[in-house]
Amino acid sequence: MAAGGLVVSGQTGDISCFHCHSKEVNDFQKSIHFNKDISCTDCHGGDIKISGDVVSIDVMHTNFTGAPSRVNMTEFCSRCHAEVTKTYEESIHWQKLKEGRVEAAACTDCHGTHNILSYKNPDSPTYSEKIPLTCAGCHENQTKMQAWYYGISTDRFDTYKKSYHYKAYVSGGGVLATCSDCHENHDTRPESDPKSAINPANLPATCGKPDCHQGANNAFIYGGKVHEGQSVYLGFIDAKKLVTYFYIIMILFELTFTIGLIVLGITSNFELRRRH
Amino acid sequence: MAELKFRRFTLNQRVQHIIFFTTFILLAYTGFPLKFPDEWWSKWMIESVGGFANRTFIHHYAGLLMIGVSVYHVVFHLLEKPRFDVLFNLKDLQDFQQQVKYYFRYTDEHPKFGRYTWKQKFEYFGAGFGAVVMGFTGILMWHPFAAMQYFPIGFIQIANLFHTWEAVLASLAVFIGHFYDEHFGKFPNMSWITGNISEEEMKHEHALEYEEALNNPELRINNNKNAGIDQVPNNVLIVTTKDTAQGESKTDQAPNNILILGLAKMVFTVVFLAICAWMLWISYLVLVEAVNTYIL
Repeated sequence: MAAGGLVVSGQTGDISCFHCHSKEVNDFQKSIHFNKDISCTDCHGGDIKISGDVVSIDVMHTNFTGAPSRVNMTEFCSRCHAEVTKTYEESIHWQKLKEGRVEAAACTDCHGTHNILSYKNPDSPTYSEKIPLTCAGCHENQTKMQAWYYGISTDRFDTYKKSYHYKAYVSGGGVLATCSDCHENHDTRPESDPKSAINPANLPATCGKPDCHQGANNAFIYGGKVHEGQSVYLGFIDAKKLVTYFYIIMILFELTFTIGLIVLGITSNFELRRRH
Repeated sequence: MAELKFRRFTLNQRVQHIIFFTTFILLAYTGFPLKFPDEWWSKWMIESVGGFANRTFIHHYAGLLMIGVSVYHVVFHLLEKPRFDVLFNLKDLQDFQQQVKYYFRYTDEHPKFGRYTWKQKFEYFGAGFGAVVMGFTGILMWHPFAAMQYFPIGFIQIANLFHTWEAVLASLAVFIGHFYDEHFGKFPNMSWITGNISEEEMKHEHALEYEEALNNPELRINNNKNAGIDQVPNNVLIVTTKDTAQGESKTDQAPNNILILGLAKMVFTVVFLAICAWMLWISYLVLVEAVNTYIL
């Protein structure tokens, strides 16, 4: 892990990079990396022995690497987070990145850049309560998701909002399942991948995680259409539509009759006689 | 001076009614906030029962109690002596037609209702249908993964849909229809506590039954001491002798009673209107959601 680096980011808070890169350093000072004594140079390179008194861009930027390209991002992070990077490189996000779809999610899209926070920090975009918003940032974006080479539906957050998982959480029931609990955080794979957590064959194991629906392992779970809400078909009729139409008619009927009869009743002599 | 009273509900029925409506109110109170978590009243209502865990606990066990009292009702009344005047018949249709004609001033004669009016029959069977639907779907949703050992996930989704819709329908029927017809319009209707209705009410609301009861001497009980009053079966006249002294003191207190009654009616009106507004809000929300999901 991070060795040295103390000249640049010591406990005194004297960071020489700050003289020019004030915004970045301000952000960085809030991050978990700063708290663990990791310095700018651990990611960006450059000579840490040079003090702030020597103000020369050429000298300070020796061996400096600026922002990595999105495809080279993993090379930065894997210096410390080797294990997790390997897992991430199995994901659909990384595969698309490698194919040249630069908008696919890289490390920093979820974790942030300089202001990376622990997933246990409530302000972090990777905190369990914030995960739906983090994912929705891209997955609700029409332009990104509906590109001709993706065609991913953008209603994932909206459909999630209809689930008990979300409703119970918003009502103060503690955090139940969010996106990454079912889809995995680093090892996100499409449903069609046999290794995917949401592949129909793996759904019993995914739902039956020890902290979730234990004993779901033998459950009779059909298909993988959790967001859409799977229906039952009576021949060619969608049972969900049938139930909905039936109750829409019933409720309109009920409202019309109840309120109509109340109004008619109030004006009639029968009711007046009752209160004589 | 004799006073006539008519036994409308036995003690058993009154206790069933109290358990049923208590669980119904608890279920509606703890159920709708979960369906609409983004409304301001949802958070307030969940807070008021002490958080989400309590909400879930109350909803589950009130539901079980309601299933229990519903099963008890069916078993008890089938074993006791099934009565058939609660079933729909041709007269209900005629009554309905005549009532609508009466409301629109085509006739001066209001229909004479028997023991159960057509509206009461609708409410009774509606409650029965609702209890069956809510009970079965509720149990499926309580243990979805146990249920999925026998049914595909689609069944649970359909159960979920049924549970919401039936909840809205039943709450509309109870909180607007039943409240208005039986409690607001007939305020103060105490028959759900005492089990009796007065001669005057009987003549007005159930004219046909009143005539039948008067002409049938078997249905008459003289009850001077109010002893064993809860053993009196339904439909029966209770003749009690009024103490004249008591009668006089009652007239003295009359203005006071009117004041209390008026105040009670005012409070009840405000509560009733608030609940009506809430129910209309909820029906608007579900209808909009359904139209957005399935029609547009």
